[in-house]
Amino acid sequence: MEAELQHLQTEARADLAALTDAPGLEAFRVKYLGRKGLCTTVMRSLGAVPDAERPRLGKLANDVRQDLEAAFAAREAELATSQAVSGAVRPDLTLPGRLSPFGKLHPVTQVMDEVCGIFAGLGFAVAEGPDVELDYYNFEALNIPPHHPARDMHDTFYISDSVLLRTHTSPMQVRAMQKAAPPLRMIAPGKVYRCDSDITHTPMFHQVEGFLVDRKVSFGDLKGVLSVFIAKMFDAKTPIRFRPSFFPFTEPSAEVDIGCVICKGVGCRVCKKTGWLEILGAGLIDPAVFKMVGYDPDAYTGFAFGLGMERIAMLKYGITDIRLFYENDLRFLAQF
Amino acid sequence: MTPHPNADKLVLCTVEVGAETRRVVCGAPNARVGLVTAIALPGAVMPSGMTIKVSKIRGETSEGMLCSEKELGISEGQGGIMELPVDLVSGLELVAALELADTMIEVDLTPNRSDCASVIGIAREAGSFVGRHLTPPVPRELPPLVADNLPFGVQVEAAEDCPRYVARLLRGVTIGPSPWWLRQRLLAVGQRPINNVVDITNFVMLEYGQPLHAFDFKRLAGGSLEVRRARAGERLQTLDGVTRDLTPEMLLICDAEQPVAVAGVMGGANSEVNPATTEVLLESACFNPVSVRRTSRVLGLGTEASYRFERGVDPQLAPQAMERAVRLLCEITGATVVAGGVDYREGVKPRPTIDLRVSRTNELLGLHLDGDAIVHHLSTIEIPAVKQDAQTIAVTPPSFRIDLEREIDLVEEVARLVGYNDIPTSLPMVPMSFPEQDPGRLMRQRLATVMTAMGFYEAINYSFVGARHCDLLCLAEGHAARSCVPLLNPLGEDQGVMRTLLLPGLLENVRRNINFQTTDVRLFEIGKVFHPAGDVQPHEKLHLAAVLTGRRQPRSPMVHFGGVLVDLLDVKGVVEAILESCRLTQVCFVPASDGELAEPDQFIRLVAAGKEVGQFGQLSLKVAKGFGIKQPLFYLDLDLEILAALPPVTTQCQPLARYPAVRWDLAVVVGEEVRVGDLIAAINAAAEPLVEKVELFDIYRGKPMEKGRKSVALSLTYRSNERTLDDETVGAVHTRVTDIILTRFQARLREV
Ligand SMILES: [Zn+2]
Repeated sequence: MEAELQHLQTEARADLAALTDAPGLEAFRVKYLGRKGLCTTVMRSLGAVPDAERPRLGKLANDVRQDLEAAFAAREAELATSQAVSGAVRPDLTLPGRLSPFGKLHPVTQVMDEVCGIFAGLGFAVAEGPDVELDYYNFEALNIPPHHPARDMHDTFYISDSVLLRTHTSPMQVRAMQKAAPPLRMIAPGKVYRCDSDITHTPMFHQVEGFLVDRKVSFGDLKGVLSVFIAKMFDAKTPIRFRPSFFPFTEPSAEVDIGCVICKGVGCRVCKKTGWLEILGAGLIDPAVFKMVGYDPDAYTGFAFGLGMERIAMLKYGITDIRLFYENDLRFLAQF
Repeated sequence: MTPHPNADKLVLCTVEVGAETRRVVCGAPNARVGLVTAIALPGAVMPSGMTIKVSKIRGETSEGMLCSEKELGISEGQGGIMELPVDLVSGLELVAALELADTMIEVDLTPNRSDCASVIGIAREAGSFVGRHLTPPVPRELPPLVADNLPFGVQVEAAEDCPRYVARLLRGVTIGPSPWWLRQRLLAVGQRPINNVVDITNFVMLEYGQPLHAFDFKRLAGGSLEVRRARAGERLQTLDGVTRDLTPEMLLICDAEQPVAVAGVMGGANSEVNPATTEVLLESACFNPVSVRRTSRVLGLGTEASYRFERGVDPQLAPQAMERAVRLLCEITGATVVAGGVDYREGVKPRPTIDLRVSRTNELLGLHLDGDAIVHHLSTIEIPAVKQDAQTIAVTPPSFRIDLEREIDLVEEVARLVGYNDIPTSLPMVPMSFPEQDPGRLMRQRLATVMTAMGFYEAINYSFVGARHCDLLCLAEGHAARSCVPLLNPLGEDQGVMRTLLLPGLLENVRRNINFQTTDVRLFEIGKVFHPAGDVQPHEKLHLAAVLTGRRQPRSPMVHFGGVLVDLLDVKGVVEAILESCRLTQVCFVPASDGELAEPDQFIRLVAAGKEVGQFGQLSLKVAKGFGIKQPLFYLDLDLEILAALPPVTTQCQPLARYPAVRWDLAVVVGEEVRVGDLIAAINAAAEPLVEKVELFDIYRGKPMEKGRKSVALSLTYRSNERTLDDETVGAVHTRVTDIILTRFQARLREV
């Protein structure tokens, strides 16, 4: 009996090792482990052994069966794996996936959302105003009276003598200040228009204007807020410099350059070999603007800044022709 | 130099070019022995594009060409070849000989710093930053001009229009070309030399920033000038040859009979300096900036002079620039100046002193300067400042800084002098407040997320379109979208009006994409349309429009889904998703046949609260053709203004069902005219509490059914919240539902 069991075990293990496919496995299962298999037969024959031997031999028979069951399971798993690798009906996993349709936001929107998100994080409210503005809000209330030479800086589309397409989103400064008392922190994203069209100008483009008004707001604060913005928008190590400039509605006025993101300041075509890129205009809000909206210029100070979205998107993505933004060619839109 | 054997007007010249000699045929009247001139050697390309070659002219070899200034593009020329200074070394390149190779510094001048629209202004500004002071070519303080016994006079009508007018007379002027140094300097800044008198006035303007004008004195009637506004009907031919109508707001310089110049803009042809001029009346004046700007705008005439006057010219500059010009005229043209002159200065006001507060300066800039430091900073740019007390500095702006009028202007100067980059950076200490978001913007963001999730790319088009778009869309006369807001000064006809629909832009985009072989296109745009609203600002309304065309599964290769094209139900699904995401399930879909943009029977109007909130459909083939699109295209257009005003359907969380549902099918044969939506609506209207959901799962036409009928198979889900349903209960409800369908739609059950 004992020898018989050992023989069964050896033979079964040899059979198992020689198996290569599923039918073989099934045959093995039937032959050894099935209801009428050899293991069962052996167990049944336990009845014929003497009582004293029965527990020991019974345990032995059980051990053999368990060993074979475990070996069978292992071999089955082994074969299943190897078959997947070498079998004839392996699925071709290099086939392209079934993609549900999905689209993307326009690169200008993406940049605008990012800019607005940074300022929202600094507690700036977001408000939009009309695209078709009154001359009063676009110019006069911003300290640009009729016949001011600064109007030359804005090639304006007119609807009538007093109605125009806004040339910047700065009118929102005035509209917001007329509506509420300081402290005020707001950005105004939107479309702006200038009658100018070439490789670097489109007659419509996007701007984000921002301003902050409170007591004791300083030029240093303006520098601080813009530094935070540039560090978040580009890279914490991006160098920044402020240059004196002129805008009728801010004083002191500044233009802000960042170290060229393309050549890292060495000098390239985009930065015209200067290593710097002009990125935004800013300044302390001119007391004349405060007077226009009825704020006391001695009590309140504030700063304002404005930046072009296309300019940033072009730098960020290496776009060289601004007109691409408005052709809406899917080969372009799909890249961002 | 020898005569040409075969031509009377030509000569054979032997020209010394450095160490070599060249034989050149020349026809210039001023060719003569000993002349130093310019030669173009074989290989040289002339401004006209002609390449100089060794050639035969009337049988004689010519090894180059002697050139006139005109041929070299240097000036209009005096007739004949260039006459260069005799002390030049032969063989030099012309660029080197005339010192034309120079370094150009381009200055991007802001409108407030008109004082820097001159070499002296830039020099003064640059000097202050390197600690050097400017030495002007003539002294700043000049003896006053005496007006006694002058052979001319000047009258000024209004001091406000013309705060200062300085005039002097020069006699014995010989008009001719300017000396080389003067011509070379004008050429260096891109100006063409004309003659010595005009060149000197231009040179002094560039040097001082003070525009000057030279009149031919003998051509001035009555020998006197008057500065006055134009009278109705007056006209003047300006130096550019254009005869201009003058309007009463324009300021003129007139002689005893007629206008002779538009003040500060351009002189008149009737008093122009010409080769016969011997007496010059020179004007150095200061005109009102607004007046000059308005005049220059109305005339459409911008000049170097008007540029400077518009931005403001220091009234103290007039006598200095006059003195400088007079000295040059005497030196160069051989003129003598008549003693004395007119110096009208009624309009020159003393500059008021500005109080600059030390604390205010520090507060605005975030600095801790003391009064002495501020005084010192200002002194470096010639701004006199005196400390009144510890907190106040009295500043008298110099006359050339006309932009310094207020305390804040001085604060900016201090900031600039400290250096913007040296001002310490800080962050504002502001009370915390909630940053409100723009509701339109939030809606746009939410919808854009839905649209991109459904495969649409965002497009942004210009807010202005061509008026002809309404015709391309075949809109009826009087259609609301035809009433547009026009631009007064569009860049072109195709950008002439503000858009009233988003669709034309998107259709142009589709055409472009198809032209570039992208035929599966899904685009959307969320933007404003503009409707006239009286003579004020137009009404701006946010719309969402989308177009879809091409394959239903554009991003997957054909192997997966084949090339099935989109149809109306695809765009319907998009609309359903939009409404669901906005919780606007109360919007009704109303199929209609009167969609102007749509194919018949491919058009659905969206209605809510009695208002049309949008529409979608298949673009009519005629309109598509007008936009050059030959494949079926579906569009949708939503009025977000109305949509945003609808109350969102509020959602209460429903408990999840605890008992299983039972699905029973119902297949009925109905006439083709019966609409599936009506079948489902009829079942829902019965409001059977156990009917949870009705779904369409099949529509079948063909045998064994007769023509004109179809089989509609619906799957009804029954569920109770209280117990597991048994067949008997479900069967009773199902029979009631079936009866409704059978009786109301003349249907019969389909035998399976
Ligand atoms: Zn660079």
